[in-house]
Amino acid sequence: MNRKIRLTVNGRARAVEVPTSRTLLDCLRNDLGLTGSKEGCGVGVCGACTVLLDGKMISSCIALAVSADGHEVTTVEGLAGDERLHPVQQAFIDAGGFQCGICTPGQVVAAKALLDAIPSPTDAEIREWMLGNLCRCTGYYKIIESIRAAAQRSRA
Amino acid sequence: MGRGEGFVAHKTVTFTQECAIPVERERLWDFLMEVPKVARCVPGIESIEAVDASAYKGSLRVQVGPIRLSLEGTMTVEEQDRAAWRARMRAEANDRRVGGGIRARMSLTLAPGEGGTRLRIETDLAILGRIGEFGQPVIKKKADALLEEFAHNLGSTLRQGG
Amino acid sequence: MNAFEYAAPRTLDEALAVLGEHGDEARVIAGGTALVTMMRQRLLSPGYLVSLREISGLDRIEAANGDVGIGALVTHREVETSPLVQERIPVLADTFRRVASVRIRNMATVGGALAHADPNQDPPVTLIALGARVEIRGAGGRRELPVEEFFHDYYESALEPGEVVTGVVVPRLPAASGAAYVKFLPRTADDYATVAVAATVSLEPDGERCRAARIALGSVGVTPIRALAAEGLLVGQQLGAELLLAAGEAITGAVDPLNDHRGSAAYKKEMAAVMVGRALTQAWDAARASSRTRP
Repeated sequence: MNRKIRLTVNGRARAVEVPTSRTLLDCLRNDLGLTGSKEGCGVGVCGACTVLLDGKMISSCIALAVSADGHEVTTVEGLAGDERLHPVQQAFIDAGGFQCGICTPGQVVAAKALLDAIPSPTDAEIREWMLGNLCRCTGYYKIIESIRAAAQRSRA
Repeated sequence: MGRGEGFVAHKTVTFTQECAIPVERERLWDFLMEVPKVARCVPGIESIEAVDASAYKGSLRVQVGPIRLSLEGTMTVEEQDRAAWRARMRAEANDRRVGGGIRARMSLTLAPGEGGTRLRIETDLAILGRIGEFGQPVIKKKADALLEEFAHNLGSTLRQGG
Repeated sequence: MNAFEYAAPRTLDEALAVLGEHGDEARVIAGGTALVTMMRQRLLSPGYLVSLREISGLDRIEAANGDVGIGALVTHREVETSPLVQERIPVLADTFRRVASVRIRNMATVGGALAHADPNQDPPVTLIALGARVEIRGAGGRRELPVEEFFHDYYESALEPGEVVTGVVVPRLPAASGAAYVKFLPRTADDYATVAVAATVSLEPDGERCRAARIALGSVGVTPIRALAAEGLLVGQQLGAELLLAAGEAITGAVDPLNDHRGSAAYKKEMAAVMVGRALTQAWDAARASSRTRP
């Protein structure tokens, strides 16, 4: 069964027709061309598919596209401004917070959500918030450093 | 959690069920060797059909909460030793929709017991693929419950002269 | 996933009507974390999904007559961060905080967690120890059930076809009470506990002896359980090593855990006794502290 859904994605109104069984992740990647979010585990655990739904981070691989009808979605593609990268993105580049990059869109979106909720997080708060975003390359240290740096920069 | 269809073998679970059947050994043995009759005592059995003298194909429904498995496969009688009152069977069944299956080896022994016969069923059960991933411990509990009900049905059927 | 029809009605009555119409083929979806995962693995293939997301009025956390009422559509994260819950029932906020990750907690709902009926989940354990009740609605009307009576088997709850959980009511704990939730999680392969214990202890006016206690355990069988025998040992007693040992032994007899990758049945039995000791000690200490701050 197909449904027409209307949602706001990265600030733009989008309308798309999807099978009810399509995940939000597949809709973003295949119907809307936003391939930044990745499918890692397919069961909501690894965080590579992290997007914001009405500002809250979710696993888009286990969300149905139809459940986003009438709602707002933010993906990694929606973080940068016209002229500049989002402070979190810039911090990940400057601090070396990624290697292969596959988990990075999820990490960056999750980190942005963290700083929106807690502008000056402690290390413990960073770790607790980010524990659902797995990385096979970095060992997490540089991810945490990137987030710390982004928080400091946003305060400055 | 991958999406491939290959079967990954999980640990084999072994369990033993013993029950008292209120008929004498000879009669129980004869009944047990008639597989279609015995199959009707298995809870959830949907169909059973002889393929040849010692092999049968059939389907079995098992439910875990809202999850319904429809296992289709074959059962083969590998050994029938009336002198030793022992029989061995092998079963293989898959659930096509969920992607997984079971491989079981069962050994039945009959011993004289109070009021009739003590039937002992030893099962080695391997749970493969998706079913194994989600519910190996649950399946073991279900298999135990299934065998218990089977023994009960066996007893009732025989008492009614089946 | 299989193809399915999808409806997102705006009222509970509409949702119940659709459920009734489609019977066995229909399932309710709220946050969808458990349901969609199982559908993706083809463990479930409902022909019809009824989403509760657009129904208003089921997403409130409210105090009423000293009890705290939590609507079925309240997310785990909302319980965790609710100032009302943190103030009145901090152990419940702590428990919801232990579930999975923030992402899952943003989606998964209180009602959905109960309806899923997985004995390895965290919230039911604490809800049982708190003496909470589940509110249910169906075409036939409303009913209420203590949470400890809500779970029948693995993935099987007391919900009849066409019924949905509408909320949970957590009664106020008596004065001089303390509560604790202990989640024993030695592995990170998944997030479910090897063994989990929630305990509430209420003390006599002397601030030392137990007047009443409730102990609940998760991951020790096909449903979460309440350990009545162990509770009985505590009444009238003071906290002490021997009492905890006796309670632990009663627990070992009361649980029937499953062998799985989180631990063997034998290991879980042993750890259940250990964790009950820890939960009781924490709850007792909290109860003592609470009785000292009261005049």
